[in-house]
Amino acid sequence: MWVTCRTRMKRKSQDESRLPDNTAVKQQQLPAFRLQLSANEILSGFFATGVFCLGMGIILLLSAKSISEVEINYTEKCASCAKLREDATHFDKECNCSISFYLPQKMEGNVYLYYKLYGFYQNLYRYILSRSNIQLVGTDLKDVRNCAPFKTSENGLPIAPCGAIANSIFNDTIVLLYNFNSSTHIKVPMVSSETAWWTDKYVKFQNPTYQNLSSAFAGTAKPPNWPKPVYELDEEDPGNNGFINDDFIVWMRTAAFPTFKKLYRRLHRIGNFTEGLPAGSYSFIINYNFPVSRFQGQKAVVLSTLTWSGGSSLFLGLAYLVTGAVTLLASFSMMAIHLKLKERKTFFLQ
Amino acid sequence: MALCAKKRPPAPVPPRGAAPSEPLRPRTDRQTARPSPAQTGIMTVPKEMPEKWARAGAPPSWSRKKPSWGTEEERRARANDREYNEKFQYASNCIKTSKYNILTFLPVNLFEQFQEVANTYFLFLLILQLIPQISSLSWFTTIVPLVLVLTITAVKDATDDYFRHKSDNQVNNRQSQVLINGILQQEQWMNVCVGDIIKLENNQFVAADLLLLSSSEPHGLCYIETAELDGETNMKVRQAIPVTSELGDISKLAKFDGEVICEPPNNKLDKFSGTLYWKENKFPLSNQNMLLRGCVLRNTEWCFGLVIFAGPDTKLMQNSGRTKFKRTSIDRLMNTLVLWIFGFLVCMGVILAIGNAIWEHEVGTRFQVYLPWDEAVDSAFFSGFLSFWSYIIILNTVVPISLYVSVEVIRLGHSYFINWDKKMFCMKKRTPAEARTTTLNEELGQVEYIFSDKTGTLTQNIMVFNKCSINGRSYGDVFDVLGHKAELGERPEPVDFSFNPLADKKFLFWDPTLLEAVKMGDPHTHEFFRLLSLCHTVMSEEKSEGELYYKAQSPDEGALVTAARNFGFVFRSRTPTTITVHEMGTAITYQLLAILDFNNIRKRMSVIVRNPEGKIRLYCKGADTILLDRLHHSTQELLNTTTDHLNEYAGEGLRTLVLAYKDLDEEYYEEWAGRRLQASLAQDSRDDRLASVYEEVESDMMLLGATAIEDKLQQGVPETIALLTLANIKIWVLTGDKQETAVNIGYSCKMLTDDMTEVFIVTGHTVLEVREELRKAREKMMDSSRAVGNGFTYQEKVSSSRLTSVLEAVAGEYALVINGHSLAHALEADMELEFLETACACKAVICCRVTPLQKAQVVELVKKYKKAVTLAIGDGANDVSMIKTAHIGVGISGQEGIQAVLASDYSFSQFKFLQRLLLVHGRWSYLRMCKFLCYFFYKNFAFTMVHFWFGFFCGFSAQTVYDQYFITLYNIVYTSLPVLAMGVFDQDVPEQRSMEYPKLYEPGQLNLLFNKREFFICIAQGIYTSVLMFFIPYGVFAEATRDDGTQLADYQSFAVTVATSLVIVVSVQIGLDTGYWTAINHFFIWGSLAVYFAILFAMHSNGLFDMFPNQFQFVGNAQNTLAQPTVWLTIVLTTVVCIMPVVAFRFLRLNLKPDLSDTVRYTQLVRKKQKAQHRCMRRVGRTGSRRSGYAFSHQEGFGELIMSGKNMRLSSLALSSFTTRSSSSWIESLRRKKSDSASSPSGGAEKPLKG
Repeated sequence: MWVTCRTRMKRKSQDESRLPDNTAVKQQQLPAFRLQLSANEILSGFFATGVFCLGMGIILLLSAKSISEVEINYTEKCASCAKLREDATHFDKECNCSISFYLPQKMEGNVYLYYKLYGFYQNLYRYILSRSNIQLVGTDLKDVRNCAPFKTSENGLPIAPCGAIANSIFNDTIVLLYNFNSSTHIKVPMVSSETAWWTDKYVKFQNPTYQNLSSAFAGTAKPPNWPKPVYELDEEDPGNNGFINDDFIVWMRTAAFPTFKKLYRRLHRIGNFTEGLPAGSYSFIINYNFPVSRFQGQKAVVLSTLTWSGGSSLFLGLAYLVTGAVTLLASFSMMAIHLKLKERKTFFLQ
Repeated sequence: MALCAKKRPPAPVPPRGAAPSEPLRPRTDRQTARPSPAQTGIMTVPKEMPEKWARAGAPPSWSRKKPSWGTEEERRARANDREYNEKFQYASNCIKTSKYNILTFLPVNLFEQFQEVANTYFLFLLILQLIPQISSLSWFTTIVPLVLVLTITAVKDATDDYFRHKSDNQVNNRQSQVLINGILQQEQWMNVCVGDIIKLENNQFVAADLLLLSSSEPHGLCYIETAELDGETNMKVRQAIPVTSELGDISKLAKFDGEVICEPPNNKLDKFSGTLYWKENKFPLSNQNMLLRGCVLRNTEWCFGLVIFAGPDTKLMQNSGRTKFKRTSIDRLMNTLVLWIFGFLVCMGVILAIGNAIWEHEVGTRFQVYLPWDEAVDSAFFSGFLSFWSYIIILNTVVPISLYVSVEVIRLGHSYFINWDKKMFCMKKRTPAEARTTTLNEELGQVEYIFSDKTGTLTQNIMVFNKCSINGRSYGDVFDVLGHKAELGERPEPVDFSFNPLADKKFLFWDPTLLEAVKMGDPHTHEFFRLLSLCHTVMSEEKSEGELYYKAQSPDEGALVTAARNFGFVFRSRTPTTITVHEMGTAITYQLLAILDFNNIRKRMSVIVRNPEGKIRLYCKGADTILLDRLHHSTQELLNTTTDHLNEYAGEGLRTLVLAYKDLDEEYYEEWAGRRLQASLAQDSRDDRLASVYEEVESDMMLLGATAIEDKLQQGVPETIALLTLANIKIWVLTGDKQETAVNIGYSCKMLTDDMTEVFIVTGHTVLEVREELRKAREKMMDSSRAVGNGFTYQEKVSSSRLTSVLEAVAGEYALVINGHSLAHALEADMELEFLETACACKAVICCRVTPLQKAQVVELVKKYKKAVTLAIGDGANDVSMIKTAHIGVGISGQEGIQAVLASDYSFSQFKFLQRLLLVHGRWSYLRMCKFLCYFFYKNFAFTMVHFWFGFFCGFSAQTVYDQYFITLYNIVYTSLPVLAMGVFDQDVPEQRSMEYPKLYEPGQLNLLFNKREFFICIAQGIYTSVLMFFIPYGVFAEATRDDGTQLADYQSFAVTVATSLVIVVSVQIGLDTGYWTAINHFFIWGSLAVYFAILFAMHSNGLFDMFPNQFQFVGNAQNTLAQPTVWLTIVLTTVVCIMPVVAFRFLRLNLKPDLSDTVRYTQLVRKKQKAQHRCMRRVGRTGSRRSGYAFSHQEGFGELIMSGKNMRLSSLALSSFTTRSSSSWIESLRRKKSDSASSPSGGAEKPLKG
């Protein structure tokens, strides 16, 4: 109701300021690129993408083909051991199992030994959560907050390493023997170094700083499933013992899917094996500890070589191939439609 | 504020809507946005409507809570007795429109915010997340966005409230002069109490509702302007009751101890009843004695008033009614969709929960060696139940909280663009366009019906004396050198009136021949202008010698008297019995014998004057239809030519009047005057008797000529209407004006054209007549469509659809003109559909003589049945109801007060800006909002659904695919700004194009860009993307290893890969969706990608891990994963597969079914073609003729006022002999006449409405 006076006052003082600023932003006149893809651009883009995908697919398929891989599922082959392990009371009994196979062609270059689990859910929400990074970097061994349901042992000591992941570690030992002839079995030299990421080995996992590893872990309990405490994982190599044990680190990097393979050993290319694995007869000697039949899972050992892109599967190559083919097909049909319509509407696109 | 709180019990806070609300209002659904004081420069927002149409908006009254003791039943106020009045604890004159103070802000504001469903929903999620068994995400993934949203809203609310505090303070601290203890003291408004006597001076605002006690003017008269109150600009008269009008000086007033007992506070502006008890006498009080808060004192030096109602009790504040909350259709759709999505979310939750129960039963039980169940979980079923809630938490991002905030931010941006638009700035009035509501912008792009007021909206309400016909010769046409009629803009210099020192400089006339005729002394021309200078009810004011001001009742009359003034017949002054005119420089005083006043039935007015020579002459001006019948038969020939001229003028849309005179001889006059006196003294049927007496003398008159007045259209009105019509917007004119005027304006602004097949005029007075007329109109339209269309299509249409569609398909252009009284019938329940169908089939609809309530009813009718977006535009208080009813209300900030603007959602000062508001701003807003919503739903589905697919591979354990930080930041950091930039800045075609091709507006009306279908397409695209986003990396990762032989398929690498490809895919998609890449878009899109990678590497850095090992578990992940060629190949493949189909789809649509905007963008050729057409269309002028429109926006009753001399200063009356007419009751009779015609705003005689 006081408008009149106020506007009058305003009119005098703000006469000029009421005029909106003539700036590009305020007048919506910002210089801009108008995105208008012409038919030529779109079609050539499509062709280029198609060709790229097709080419990529072929390259990937070829390189995937060059990989040689051996996978041996030993769930059934070691049935007796599996049976033994089903009963948890026999945990202290050793069970070895030997699987022989014949390598028809030599595996050239670096050869990697994997273990592969089927149906093991390392990606369950509570499973992934069940670890203590604070403990694993060695700062506070007693920090087991997140480790439910494996926080403390029955007598109240904090478990180290705590949590479901650590507790369920894959603990079969796999040894590959090269059967030179029926009597000579050479143990194929394998190393476990560089099976984990550098950041894992040197940042994420640290042993508590103590002169003696076993005393460092004093006051903690071993995980219930483990036969021996963490500081006895590799007593020969102090750089591979405790939390920084490679097998342990590899296991702790949880898999995304219920079926996964994890790197176990790399071929140490010396002696007969500088070129890789020669063709011939081999056998795995497996110290069978990890029970899979309880959760109806399966396990396998895998020997594989690599290419430039890693041990890529056929999937990526095939996917590229299909995408490329479909894209090219689509570009042809789009061009056809476009050309046909162009006759009708000459004004359209120039 | 604090002050008044201390002194008085807390003033009742005005009802919710009463607070003048905020210009920036991101939350949509709490309360309608009303302008903030700061924005509008208005202190308190009066939102009132006269009672007669209050029904349309607010309920007529509401019970008001009294502080401390019950409802007030009557009010007692004793003058000059504060102690006595204080015990009633009336509200003080302090007003409070603010909502919070510093202490209450946080709790009250939070409480309000959590009344929002969305906020409560997120709070609920937050609580869910605190339950450890359910929690599947960290608490901060919900709390960070929630706090952000709450903070933004709170800051905005606080700012708004700050401005309200400021404006409250400013109003409350205004000074007024209060009589305290016999002395006039300056007091702040808020300290004025009921019972105080205050003094007002000229041009001051009235501080509270006052009882007028005395004034500087004779008889305790006082003039007020009520523009702020009811929007009427004409002055109103108030009069003190006689006993108090003598209390002229302070000492008398200080002794005044009368007590007023009156009705309790209410919102009825035109009613007041009370009684003054003084000196043992009772004096009845009425509204005529009241000065209401919000009025301005005019032409009165000072007056004294007794405060009756103060502050929140004043009628002004009581009228600050609630406004209906307006939502856009997109808002409603969005809410529905959010509900659907919520349903969808529950479905997904159920599926995954069932999956979880089955999985736990089949697999999980056996897997317990490695991962025993939680203590609380004892069965697979319970685990499934818990996982349902966990998945609800994880998947809640399909309805992200940022949606609502982003929508508001975008709307706010669009509102600012409207405020900033230079092309909607009116240079003349220096007013920019203003978006007073920020929540309706995209609806501007969907308008189908425009309801427009006429006066002040289409027309300027400025009358210009344009042409005249004198004694058979027409003046006023302008000819160029070759003798052709000159077009506008090619005119020569205007006529020079410098010979006349009293001429009005602003008056322009273009035909020099008329002035020549006057100078030559042509007697007819002189008589013509003499008539114009004598026959009127204008009052003159001469501030200094030669500086004349005319106070005319209606602009028409002012224009005519001013024309006479400039042509040398200057009306100088009048007394009740004389009129002084300067005729060509010599002052001549005529004796005014009688004014035969105007009324709606007579449609004419006359004066009888005696010139200095003693001859008595009657001068009459009036409507041609009436006057031409009352002419002397000797003028037949002149009559014919004049009629031709009249037709010509009317054809040009001018308002015409016929002028005539008649000489009376002395005896006849004496005898007639006697009969007139008798008639005026008659007790019963005084009006009828007077009318017949007038009728008798106004006969056998001599024709002088005719005047043509141009009701000046606002600039660019015909062009705007043409353009809007081309944009398929139907324009209905709803006016209180007369039918002829309305039709005239319809023609002059090209709504009606002579090319139209037929203009139906419905003027029936009874239900049956109206029904019959509507039926005939429909039949005619049907016949023609049957004749044009072939039988087959017609048959098909009849059989397949309702009547409406047949009518909509009619061939030919029709227009409907309907009268107010017919409309009353047409709007009844049983006929409204019939009316609507007929009206909608017409190209133009004009409703004349409608009341404000009817305006609102018509709008309501269209809203109800057509499901179309309606826009009402008007400038006056009578448009308020319609502005409030329509989806969008637009106020013209023009001459007629500020009512309409205050009720409106958008305001600007020129009708022509409407085209820019709709076709440019509205269209863009709609487009941007649709694109924004499509993309927003898409990106969130793509983001969230990945979890769903992952559920099948992780034992339905509610494991998320992404890192929790990614989930937190995805919506508020990584993807929010590019889409906001698109929503604010995007343009599909340049603004010039949307004016050139009004058809571009159509997608909005048809709701094509965002509807349920589009929504499902977006969702489908989102789900498609999510499928690829999950399964391609899955396929690759399942078997592959890294290039150093180690495992690739670890969970963290997978998470990073999926997240990275998601961010890239949605960025590419927004890149494709953004049609207008400004620097800001570039910055945001590239910036978002850069920020994503920066944050990714930072979060995965060793440093952060060293500090918080448990919080940043992904250490080293980014560099290890993103160094892998396989990962990049996967990301590229995912992007290609996600984007290519979209591009292909768009390409094909462009080729096969391009919409207009595509075509416009791509074709130069079509553009030129249409432009040419466009130009042709504009040139089409109107030729042809119709009957004249007589219009005279005049109220009767002023003749009597003038003759009584009551409105003249005593000084000017000194010489005049005061006629002793027995009518000190003039004011009553004026009021009675007014209230008779109150049902129509222009004072028409109209039956009161039903219902």
